[in-house]
Amino acid sequence: MQKTKGITQTVSVNTLNNLKQGQKARVLQINGGDLATKQRLLDMGITRGIIITINKVAPLGDPICLELRGYRLLVRKDDVKNVEIEVIA
Amino acid sequence: MRIALIGNQNSGKTSLFNLLTGTNQKVGNWPGVTIERKSGILRTTTFEIIDLPGIYSLSPFSPEEEIVRRFLIEEKIDLIVNIVDSTAIERSLYLTTQLYDFNIPMVIALNMADLAFEQGIRINHDLLSKLLGVPIIPISALKRTGIKELIQLIKKGEFNTANYPVIYQGELLNIIKKVEDNILMRERRFLAIKLLENDISLPIRIELDASKERDLLMQNYESDIPQVVADQRYEFIEKVRDKTVSSRENPRTLTDKIDRIILNKYLAIPIFILIMFTVYFLSAGPVGQALAGLIEDLFAWISVHFATFLENVGASPWAVSLMIDGIVTGVGAVLSFVPQLIILFLLIAFLEASGYMSRIAFFFDRVFRKVGLSGKALIPFIIGSGCSVPAIMATRTINDENERRLTILLTPFIPCSAKLPIITLFAGYFFKDNYGLVSASLYFLAVFVILMTALVMKKLLYKGGYSPFIQELPTYKAPNLNYVFKTTWEKTSAFITRAGSIIFLASIFIWILLSFNWTFTYGVPIEESILSDIGRLFSWVFYPFLGVNSWAAAVSIIQGLIAKEQVITSLSIIAGLSGEAGNATTIFTSPIFSFFTPASAYAFMAFNLFSAPCFGAIGAMHKEFGSSRKMLKAVLIQTAVAFLIATIIYQGATLIGGLL
Repeated sequence: MQKTKGITQTVSVNTLNNLKQGQKARVLQINGGDLATKQRLLDMGITRGIIITINKVAPLGDPICLELRGYRLLVRKDDVKNVEIEVIA
Repeated sequence: MRIALIGNQNSGKTSLFNLLTGTNQKVGNWPGVTIERKSGILRTTTFEIIDLPGIYSLSPFSPEEEIVRRFLIEEKIDLIVNIVDSTAIERSLYLTTQLYDFNIPMVIALNMADLAFEQGIRINHDLLSKLLGVPIIPISALKRTGIKELIQLIKKGEFNTANYPVIYQGELLNIIKKVEDNILMRERRFLAIKLLENDISLPIRIELDASKERDLLMQNYESDIPQVVADQRYEFIEKVRDKTVSSRENPRTLTDKIDRIILNKYLAIPIFILIMFTVYFLSAGPVGQALAGLIEDLFAWISVHFATFLENVGASPWAVSLMIDGIVTGVGAVLSFVPQLIILFLLIAFLEASGYMSRIAFFFDRVFRKVGLSGKALIPFIIGSGCSVPAIMATRTINDENERRLTILLTPFIPCSAKLPIITLFAGYFFKDNYGLVSASLYFLAVFVILMTALVMKKLLYKGGYSPFIQELPTYKAPNLNYVFKTTWEKTSAFITRAGSIIFLASIFIWILLSFNWTFTYGVPIEESILSDIGRLFSWVFYPFLGVNSWAAAVSIIQGLIAKEQVITSLSIIAGLSGEAGNATTIFTSPIFSFFTPASAYAFMAFNLFSAPCFGAIGAMHKEFGSSRKMLKAVLIQTAVAFLIATIIYQGATLIGGLL
């Protein structure tokens, strides 16, 4: 995990809402945000280290359909903007 | 023995419950909320089995989760039957890991074993059972396999929690143990974790300060506790999965193939419109109309022959009038819509059971979000085209309070099946050539009014924060035909029962009020009847969109409160008593209703569509709002909106008509 303490230059953090259809990413952590939303994301399986694919995007661009743990989860982009990820494919 | 049935949404829990209990069921409500509470007796035993709401976790994020955890803490449960979806085993087991914390004996029913097999998922049941420390029975609720084995296992009744695995590890486990040592209840582990997570909505008070331990853990893990707990639960599940489950890398399921078309960027919305048009075409449209016509003919035939029969046996004129003009006309007007309703209920049940409803929420969320609703609101709206009562109850799936209240307020705006007769009658007569277009236009008007009202109300009344939209996309299922037919029958028979009771009594009541004057003389002209005077008292209210003071229209509208189809009943009885009973032509050529113009007909339809719904729906609103004041406010808003729309339509159309 990249901790950038003491470095003034901001490291651009990628989050789940920026992924495109078909992209794959590993979840690093969920930063802040609304507690209930975070708890719900954790409950639905978005924990550290899990690999998520963007399965579909709604015809109007939002919400998105995630694929993880062998099932599909619908989320709004806003709901996952605090989920920090690294793109792997 | 008391058994709790617990599992995720869409896990086949209700099907399993039906299989376990047969017809031996009791349906009620959970205290304080309108979520259905079902309990029954396990087949061939005396054990009580309770069907708990479908949930993913015990956080609690929703009222359903709140109910389940309160239930597990407060009630003495001897056994949990945990239904696990084999096709989404990791997410299903997450709930299982939380159930361990309650220290209640458990059995796992591994559902959709057949479907998982088809998808190439192989599960080593024996090893899974050993690692999870609970007996496992693979079942298929759809194909009804494994049910006998499950019942037999429960009957043997040798359960304990001794073999439960240890889910948590390291410092977290140490601290949990330290905290739970101070709690003397069976579910001490669950309570200890919730204390550490700082969950403030626990159903019981525990006088224990765990803040020191919490801080210690947060330092140790450099993270908040819910994150650590969830990570460790899923780590445990992943370890179990690696040892017991093998699956193909990328299974191409049938759901994927269907969704590639149904959720396609360009096709999704046209397909939705096509489906809704089909529903409309079959129920409200030409097909349903033709069927309704047949029933109408039947009642006309009954009416004629019954009257002859009564006269032949020497019944007095008033008795003949009561039977024919009152009861047969009134009840018949309502029953002629039964075929349309059966079709509508069938199609909605079909859509509900198939998994398509979640897709609609998915691709329309963006639109509804703009006006303060979420895609989830569409589900009550679609159910609402059948009946507002279950639709208002379906708003329970919306977690955010403000969003839910707004949805409850708006749901009755959807033309429900009881409003259909009004549309059919008026549009069929006044817009004969454009019937389809005009009746469809009312649905579009409803959508427009819903969006506009939502936008205004969001700013004025239901201001609220943001609520997330996080939900499972279920796989498509071949709808369980048993379920489809059962719900269709339940709804239809409820409608018929109403026609036989409320409408029957109301028909007699109106006939009396129409046939007598204040000195109780029978056979007075209809303009001198009691009802006409009552109507005159209110008729000015409706002047702005009818263009006349009509007591007959006024009393008919007011009767819509009993049931919307009663509007039609009232129109037919009044027209029947003033001339000849029967179809639209006789109603609108009778002197009493001949004032209707296309403009006022359209306005009349719109008013009945949007004004205060029937008492049934108002009752449901009261229950869901949980307050008479909020309910009353909503009813007044609805009626005000209806009045405004109807007046704009009538005055606008009259103005344009005058200019032309």
